[in-house]
Amino acid sequence: MTLQWQPSPPDHVPAELVVDFDFFAIPEGTNDPAQIWHDLVRRGVPPIFYTPHNGGHWVFLKYDDVVEGYRNYEKFSTHQTPIPPIEPFPVVMPQGVDPPEHTVFRMLLAPMFTPLAVRRMTEHLQQRAADLIDRFADKGGCDFIADYASIFPTSTFLELFGLPQSRLPEFLALSEVFFRSTDPEARAQNLNDIYAVLEDLFREKERNPGTDIASTIVTARDADGNQHKWIDILNCGFLLFVAGLDTVTNTMTYVWRYLATNPPARAHFREKLDDTPAFLMALEELMRINAVSNIYRRVTHDFDYKGIQFRRNDRIILPNTVVNRDPSVFKDPQEIDLDRKVNNHLTFGVGPHRCIGSHLAKREIMISMQEWLKRIPHFELAPDQDEGSVFGGSVMGFTSLKLRW
Amino acid sequence: MRVIANMNVCQGHARCEDICPEVFATDAVEGKVVIVQTEFPAELEDKVRLAVRNCPEGALRIAKGKAA
Repeated sequence: MTLQWQPSPPDHVPAELVVDFDFFAIPEGTNDPAQIWHDLVRRGVPPIFYTPHNGGHWVFLKYDDVVEGYRNYEKFSTHQTPIPPIEPFPVVMPQGVDPPEHTVFRMLLAPMFTPLAVRRMTEHLQQRAADLIDRFADKGGCDFIADYASIFPTSTFLELFGLPQSRLPEFLALSEVFFRSTDPEARAQNLNDIYAVLEDLFREKERNPGTDIASTIVTARDADGNQHKWIDILNCGFLLFVAGLDTVTNTMTYVWRYLATNPPARAHFREKLDDTPAFLMALEELMRINAVSNIYRRVTHDFDYKGIQFRRNDRIILPNTVVNRDPSVFKDPQEIDLDRKVNNHLTFGVGPHRCIGSHLAKREIMISMQEWLKRIPHFELAPDQDEGSVFGGSVMGFTSLKLRW
Repeated sequence: MRVIANMNVCQGHARCEDICPEVFATDAVEGKVVIVQTEFPAELEDKVRLAVRNCPEGALRIAKGKAA
């Protein structure tokens, strides 16, 4: 196999821009994986730097550079971006292709994720959140991830894809390996397993289409009236599987961890349970401060940017958690201000690849908070937290969060 | 005062709709901004300004006077 997307050796990188930084490595005793990123800023490393770890990649630490990375797809592509570089790697469709190819699938998926479409899911989401919380509300405690935050988005995914809830354990197991395994063989097998499930699913929906997202994708026709290429259909399913589960789980975990230690914040949200615009405004601040995704881009051709030489296939990470606290954009950036008026955070990205699921994610989190706070208004961190239950990577987060009330 | 959207720049974040649903909505196909009323009562001006400042794409702007 010829490798096409490997970076060249970093002999174009000046020594003063090299920093020793491994974004998967969380030092012992760290209870918030985002701190490894904020430490970079505290240490005063260059705002654009290169690390030799994980195959070698750049990091952008300033808001304006990250915006450029998101918007300028002619320089910073989403196609074949994994860090460390892996080939072959599936194309997450349409996130993993650039316009104009991107536009066809973006337009296909867009109607299913508009604010209007997501508002229509409200009652279902409320019901599912309430059912889950009622299982443990009278037990005085839970593991927030095992009992809620991993189940809720996966269960929502099953419903959107027209799959029965009885398949929840199977999908939880698939996503567990996909997001946590570091074993190359297990990862390769897992990708095969995910694609086998998607293959069966889309074949079934082709025979018996319903009103779900999988049916919409498989029955859609291109400009010539033909079904989309089968691999693009599978890759579209893959995107929705990988993009909407772990991100929501870990964002929620950050939010609950914050609420558990901040009675005034819980009171703030409880006061706004019936005032959606005010609730959303405060929620945006939690989205800003709890950004879990470190987004990858690949350089498309050799060029200079801000006086720094970039080479084709160089990888770049855009860490939202850092730029969401850029003091040149946000007033008192380290402060969590639930009344913050202007809040152009980059948690969902900007530009043509703006997270298509952002409205669903926010609604899932808002409804979860509302249903939870109605039933469990006061809660705190349990004293027996597991050691080492945090992880880094492209999505940062937690493997366990024990709460009690 | 009126408000104008650049549809080539809007990416459907819908922050404007969250902040000021009296003036901003989003469509059912792409989820992009729809300005429900380009000219609006004075009591909504502050909310509209806030919505404009919260567009992550900078797709909205305030224009003085009435539409031509």
